[in-house]
Parts: sequence; C-alpha cells; structure tokens
Amino acid sequence: MKNNNRFFQKNIKVLSLILLSVFLSGFSISKQDKSFQNDLEDNQAKPVEISSRVSPETGSDIKDEAQQMPVYGNWETFTVKDGLPADKAYCVRIDGDRVLVGTSAGLAVYENETWKTYTAEDGLAHNGVLSIDVSELTGDVWLGTLGGLTRWSAGRFETFTQFNSGLANDVIYTVICDGKDVWVATGGGAGSYDTYTREWGIYTERNAPMHEPWTYGVCAGGGKIFIAAWGGGVIEYTKETKQFRDYVDPDGEMEIDLFPDDGVIHDITTGVTFADDILWVATYFGLSRYDGTRWKGYLDHDSGLVSNFINFLKADGPVVWLCTDLGLSSFNGETWVTYRKNENNKKGKIIITEGENTKEISSTTSISHEFVIGVDTQDDVVWIATSKGVSRGEILKDLTAGL
Amino acid sequence: MKRNKKIFLVFGGLAIISLFFIQFHKWSVHHVNYITAVDDHPLNCMSCHLYIQKDGIAAKLINEDYLSPYNLSLAPDGKKLYVIAQDANALLIVDTKTNKVIDKIEVGEKPHSVVIKNDGETAFVSNQWADNLYEIDLTSLKVIDTLKTGSGPAEIIFSPDEKFLYVVDSYSSEVSIFNLQTKTEIKRLMAGNNPVAAVFSPDGSQAIVTSRRTLPIPYGTPPMTELTVIDAASQRVKERKIFENAYLMENAAFTPSGDLAISTLIRPKNLIPSVQVERGWMMTHGIGIIESGNEGRMIQLLTDEPNSYYSDPFDIVISPDGQKAFISHSGVDIITVIDLNEIRALLAESTQEKLDYYSNHLGISARYVIKRIPTGANPKGLVLSPDGKYLYVAERLEDKIAVINTETLETINSIDLNGPSRITVARQGRRLFNNSGHTFQNQYGCYTCHPDSHEDGLVYNMAGADMGRNLANTQTLRDIGDIPPYKWNGKNSSIYKQDGMRFSTILTRTESFNYDDLDALVAYIVTGIKNPPNLRYNPTGELTAAQKRGKKVFYRTHTNCGKEIPVENQCATCHPPPYFTNMQMADVGTLSDTDDPMLFDAPQLNNIYESAPYLHDGSAATLEELWTKFNDDDEHGVANDMLKDQLNDLVEYLKSIRDAKYYKDDVEEYKADINQEN
Repeated sequence: MKNNNRFFQKNIKVLSLILLSVFLSGFSISKQDKSFQNDLEDNQAKPVEISSRVSPETGSDIKDEAQQMPVYGNWETFTVKDGLPADKAYCVRIDGDRVLVGTSAGLAVYENETWKTYTAEDGLAHNGVLSIDVSELTGDVWLGTLGGLTRWSAGRFETFTQFNSGLANDVIYTVICDGKDVWVATGGGAGSYDTYTREWGIYTERNAPMHEPWTYGVCAGGGKIFIAAWGGGVIEYTKETKQFRDYVDPDGEMEIDLFPDDGVIHDITTGVTFADDILWVATYFGLSRYDGTRWKGYLDHDSGLVSNFINFLKADGPVVWLCTDLGLSSFNGETWVTYRKNENNKKGKIIITEGENTKEISSTTSISHEFVIGVDTQDDVVWIATSKGVSRGEILKDLTAGL
Repeated sequence: MKRNKKIFLVFGGLAIISLFFIQFHKWSVHHVNYITAVDDHPLNCMSCHLYIQKDGIAAKLINEDYLSPYNLSLAPDGKKLYVIAQDANALLIVDTKTNKVIDKIEVGEKPHSVVIKNDGETAFVSNQWADNLYEIDLTSLKVIDTLKTGSGPAEIIFSPDEKFLYVVDSYSSEVSIFNLQTKTEIKRLMAGNNPVAAVFSPDGSQAIVTSRRTLPIPYGTPPMTELTVIDAASQRVKERKIFENAYLMENAAFTPSGDLAISTLIRPKNLIPSVQVERGWMMTHGIGIIESGNEGRMIQLLTDEPNSYYSDPFDIVISPDGQKAFISHSGVDIITVIDLNEIRALLAESTQEKLDYYSNHLGISARYVIKRIPTGANPKGLVLSPDGKYLYVAERLEDKIAVINTETLETINSIDLNGPSRITVARQGRRLFNNSGHTFQNQYGCYTCHPDSHEDGLVYNMAGADMGRNLANTQTLRDIGDIPPYKWNGKNSSIYKQDGMRFSTILTRTESFNYDDLDALVAYIVTGIKNPPNLRYNPTGELTAAQKRGKKVFYRTHTNCGKEIPVENQCATCHPPPYFTNMQMADVGTLSDTDDPMLFDAPQLNNIYESAPYLHDGSAATLEELWTKFNDDDEHGVANDMLKDQLNDLVEYLKSIRDAKYYKDDVEEYKADINQEN
C-alpha cells in the first residue's frame, strides 16, 4: 500500500496530464459524426480516442506512445443452423479470404459466405480440431486435433500420430508454424517437427525444465519458442543455443498471487503469445505480461480483464486478445475493451476500462457465447470461437476506446 | 629299376592330378548348379568370379567408364546441345552444326538435369547425389557458384521472368524455390512422393511437378500419384492432382497454347495376381492429361497396343505448333509420336465415363499414335530444336544422341559422345535390366518395378501356388550382391537363381534369359547398383545427438528396467553391420492372414529411410509403425519398454544408416562386443 502511495505521488503530474487529455478528447469526440456508432444502442458511451500518455496502471514500462484501441461490433454469429458442423468451436484462424474454424465435429471453412466441413473421413486425424496455424512460407494448414496432427496442403491431408511418426502425443492443444519448423503443445510434451529434415523433437520433463509433460500452448518470437507447461509456468527455448530455461511463479502459491508482478502469475499456464517484443501468458488465474526484463500481472479485480479464467490468448501487434469464460477481453497496455453478452437479451456489452475508470456500452449485437475459446484478427475483422458458435466482429469505424 | 620308378612317379602324379581334377570338376558342377539353380549352366569361372568383381585391377580392366547421357537442354539459339553425362559426372557441350562434342565440364555427383538461361550465358546443373546445383558460366565454362538444395535435386526450371529457380528435390519430395538475385533458397514446398520433373505453363501462371511413387495409401489399395500444381504468383501449391492407378510419372509438358498438360505414366496392376501378365494387362503405359478447360478434367490414355507394350515412358516434348507429342519409351527403345489433334478430338467427344473406360483400352492408341521410331538403347531425355524441326534423344546406354527429323519422323543422325566403344558384360546387363524385351509382349522390364535399381514402393501379388496370398513388398536391388538369400521368403540363394528360371515362370512369363544374358544381368546387379549417399540424414558420418542416442538403443542389451534382452531379440543380432542383416531367416510376428506360415529374410538396413513402406507385405507405412503397430509381443526386437523419445531416437539412427562401406569399423566393434559377451 505504501508502495502504491509513493507511486501515486511520484506520478501525480503525469496523472494530471492524462486527466486533461481525457477531457480534451471527450470534447473532441462530441463533435464527431455519430454515424459510425451503428452497433451502439445509444450515445451513452461517448467513446474517445486515446491520446499519448504514460500508463498509470503499469508505469513507464508500457510504451510511451499509446496505441489507439479499436472497438469491434456488428457481431455476426454462425452456428449449426448456418452450416457449422457443431456449435462447439475450439479455434479460429483467418487465412486470407477464408476463415478456418476447428470444431468438435471437424474443420469448418468459411469461404465465399459458405461453410464447408472436413472430417476424419476426408483425412483429418480427428474431428476434434483444437488448434490451427498456417505456414506463411508454404500456405500449408496445420491442424492440431484430439487424435494427431494434420497437414492440409492444397487439398491433401497428411496425418502424423504418435504411432506413425515422432509426434509426442496425439492430443494437440496448440500448433504453430515457425518458418520451416512446426511446434506443438501436446498432452505428452511439447514437440517440434523440422519440415526440411523431417526430424521430430520431444520436450518433456526428461530433457527440459518442466514439471510434467502436459503442455497447453506454444508460440514463437524473438528467436525463441515459449511453451505454456501445465504446472511448469513458461518454458523458454532459445533456438540459437538450443537451451531451455523456465519461468515459474516465484511465490509458489497456487491459491493466490502472493507477490504481484514477481514473475508469471501462476505455474498452471494455458497459453502464450508473443508480439512487439512482449510475451503474454494466459493462466486460469490471470494474465501475465513479460517484456524481457519485468513481469506484470493482471487480474479481474485490478484491471479490465473480464475473468482470470483465460482459455486462450493471441497478441496482434500491441493488442492482446483474451478468451475467457466470461467473454472476450482485449488490451493494448493501457485500455481494456471487453465484449460480453447481455444476460437478459441478445444484445451485447462493451466494457471499456482505463485504470480505475470503467464505462459500459450496450450494443445491439453480441458475441455468440461468453465462453470464448479462440480468437483471430486480420485487418478490421475479429473472429472468435466459443462453446456455442462462432462470431465475427468488425471495427466500428472511426471509433476507438476511451473514457 | 630307376626307369620303372620314374614311370610310376609320372603316372602316379598324373593319376593324382586327374583325381584332383575330377573332384574339382565335381565340386565345380555342384557349386555352379547350386548358385545358378540349374544343371546345365556352362562351367565358366569367369562369368562369376571375374565379372562380378567390384574393386581392384580386374574390375578396372573388365569395366569401362561410360557417359550415360540422361537429360538434355538446348541453347536458346539451338546452336549448342547440353548433355548431362550421368555416369561421367559431366556436362557435355555438342555443336549441333557439326554434331561433335566440343567441350566437357566436370559437375557434381550423379548430375540429373541442366537448364540454360535465355541469354545463353549461364547454365544450372542439378547434382542429384550431391544435393546441390552448379551455376556454370558458359563463356568461361567454369562453375561459378554452388547452391545447396533439398535432397536429390532433379529437374530445374526458371520462373518465366528468370528471377526464381524451382528445383525438384526428388528424394525429400519437395520443390525448393531460389531467389536468383540473392542466390538463396526462400522456401520449400511439399510435392508428391519422389517428384522428378517440373514445367511452367506457357502463360507462366503455374508450374506442374510430376512424381514417381504413389502417395502413402492404405494397405491394399491401388496407387495414387500426385501431380503438384504451384501457383507462380504466390509460390504456393494451389492444387494436388491425383492420378489414380498410376505411378512413375517421369516427365510432363504443356502444349504451347496451354490447353493440355501431359505427363508420362505407368498403370500398374500390382494387386491382381501376376498370372495376368500372360493375358496381357499387368503393366500398361501411357499418358496422363489435364485439360485447362472442362474444370481441369484428368484423363489417362495408353500408348500401348494389343499384344505389344511400350514400356517405361520417360520424357515427353511437344512440337511448337502443338500438333505432335514425342515420348521416349526407355524400356523398348522407341520414340512414340502422338497426334495431339486426335487426342483433342477424342477428349471433345468423350464423357468422363468414356474416358475412364479408355484408360484401360489397349486399342484406343491406334487413333492417335502415328509413328514408332526406333532408337538406340534406353532413350531418356528429349529436346526439340527451337524451330521444332529436330528432336534430340539421349540414348543413355548407347552413349549417343539420336537426331530425328520431326517432319519425316526418321532418324537422320547419331551424335557419338565418344564413350567407350566396347560393351562390357555389366553394361550389357544394364541394358537388359532396363529393357522389357524379356517380358511377355514387352510389358515391363526390371527397371519398371525397380526404378533407379531401387524399388517402386508397391506391394505385388506374385501368384504363387495359392492365388492372392503372400503379397510381396518390392525390395531394393542396391548393393545386394553380398547379402543372399533373396526374396522375402529367402527361397533364392543367389541372384542367378532369383533371375533365372523362376524369374521367367513367375514374372516375365517368357523364355528365361540365356546364360550369357543371365551372366550379364547378374554382373550388373552385383557391381553396378550403388546406394546413393545418405546426404539427407547422415551427410558427414557425424551422427546427430538424437542419432547417437538411437544408436545406443539399437545396440542395447538391457531394457529400461534393467532386464536383460535375449540375444535373439536385440536389434543388432538380426541386423548387424555392415549391411545390418545377418542374412538369416526369422519370425518377427508379422505374418498376416494372407501369408503362409514362413520365416522372412532379415532385410538390410542401408539407406532404409528411402524404402517405405516396410515389412514383407508393406503393411508398415513408416519405421515407427514397425514397433507401434506390429510388435505387440516384442518379437521384432524388445521395444515395448521404450519411451516415445527413445523410439524417435532409434528411428533417427535407422534413418542415418548409409552404405555398407562405412561400417567396416562397426563390424570389428560389434564382433569385439559379441566376443566379450561370450
């Protein structure tokens, strides 16, 4: 508490500047054309553009040049009725003009406003498709399923299992492409596959600093591979040296985050994503951010994060998207925007949080379900996979979040 | 007395010599009969003991260094012909005016293809056994750069703007794309299985890549071979065309208008009993066609005729006017000329159903085949002069280039590449190996099921006593001279026996080879078929960390729990170096319902990585499956105690095993270990 007071006193000038800029921004937004607010139910929010300032929430380690935080809306929902093979969608990946959705009943591909489904009968390793990535080099689609890894290349399905290949385990929670290499997080360890040499690697507690072989997420960035290891925090693999190191919660507490910002927020990690030199780590107990030097934790009660129970996350430039059991949150280091479903009707809620300030906007459309499992963005569009359908949102033009 | 003694000694000596000679003759007859499995083979020690010499002075004296022209390319102005001399590791330059070889450039090991830039000043040569390309300055005739490729680079093509080079990596089944400005490989695309050839469409929008082996298919299903379509703009694979019931798509060409893309292919009937050979339908040969219209309709048409087959189609070129296609049939020494307008008319008037019917129709070729032009031995690469008037044919086992007038369709010249004039016994054997003349109606040669003297990846029904039983996965012929017995069931104790009477009875269904030919064939198989270097998994002999761990697993004597593994269940017992076979029969618990009770010959493991599928009936698609699917009771080595990463390490080690010559030291180590244990 004393620390917080000192921080507040030290940055009082900065905070004053922020308040001033918020006021000025609010003034400017009131003059804007209101036609962009086509998804907002009324003009209650008075959203404003965030100006450049230092974050009161995180201190100077957040970039001084604040990024504009887009707000999405005009949600369109797709379910079995619209052509999805199942309502339960695990993941979504935008691939150029098409969208790939992994469901419990196969891979669904949305192209030219039509859904087409591929199942195990077509060559998928398993109908439960948990993760999708597309190789930037080759365009090949890699699918992590409940029964193995599938490469879908120009119509040809090729399946790798723990029986016919060096794949660590058939339950694949995450697959990513990193140049010529493919990495997977599986129930039996992390794995790598060099598509040039065809060599498989398996990384478990036998050869890496893991607590147990169960891994949930994997991402690449900054010459490194980061693995979300169940009970083992984050495992960092440096590609050049082929060395591992781990990041665990230093306080060792499983029930609470005893010492905030001392490291990754919890040892049970569910996902990792890397962008703009920042590593974001999802857990079922909150969100962590690591800039290579310092860790910062975010919880539902001290930030705009809608829930500590984070199923998946994905960073796109400065913005990180958090898929939780209570909706979809997004965060750019300063501003949180959360998308929820109104409990009483089909309408949606947009909750904007900056520091201590929160504003809720009602929107005429909403995400299909609050249990969000997957997300992907491209240009002005965001797609999310939920436990009941898939939703597509688009940026509300000329509207950025602010208070 | 002294005189009598002398007479006694002389006659006694003669008697001993005679007795020795008689015994030696008896032994020789028995030995030759055993080796050849017949009782009338001439007693000629030379045929075996001289002609199968692999090394040493005798081998040098009896053999020759041939050129073996393989693929060709012409300078843009047509004045120079560039010839890949595959066995000489050279690029030959021929003056097309004088028809003389004017230059020779040394290139890498086992060159495959050559391509010339539009300015005629630069060539690229793919060195298939060196995993690289040579960039050659054709002015100075010097190699100016080396570009590392994927494994087994075969055909090379330029993008239409010559900014990129596409290289078909035949062993690693990829296409490498090089940026020619930076001379860097920018990506590798997955191609079909064992791709070899590529060609750009006339509009430059796409390239197609042919492949030879079937894609991995469920056990007991017909082959499905991929023709890969690469989008030039995105440099990504945009489509994978699957030719069903076909394989060995060696080359392809587009018509100048781009209305047709045509590939050579073979349609094997490997799943029906081989008695079908004498009914005339075991292996058929023809072309695969993709129409640019009709939603890319795919058609297969035969170039065979009833009672006469034109085996092993290799290259195809199309005349600049788009009227004729020329196909080299390397198994029958023929160039087939096809009237493409007849093909177009046939396609236009036929439904897909009708065309499917034609794909097995031996008579339909009469409609579009307009000429069969004989060539020298084993015609391979073709190239047309820029004006389309002359067709150059690489006669690989003739060391010559035939020149054919494309208007008269007659051979008008033969360019001697100045190879050895003498045809050695092994060379004669190689000609026989690549020729279908010994098979009923020329349906196939040894090459057909053993392309590159390896294996074709198919499982055959050899029609033994019980029809449909005992399916056999084709085995490699590389470096097999010293590892009898042969066949999975080990019934053939020698290559003589393998290729003698039984061969004609089961396979060729004609008269068996005469003994001179049999001697020659054996000489070639024993001396002339080598393993390619295992550059993909073991380029230097220094094992990777995983391979080192795998080697320990391979030679282990105790399980993870410390329990001693019975000697007969240790990997190295049945698979000791240098060939990684003990040449003994064994039961590894892999008999299927269609197999008679039998033991199997332990196969060699050199270059095993390129011999999928595995087991006698091809039921294991990958090396991993040997232990994850077919070793429930640890009969194929104790393995069920292993962790997954240990199995991966073992597989990595197996893939690293290369030619037997590298394991002489391992033999000593292995023997020392065995002796120590004993």
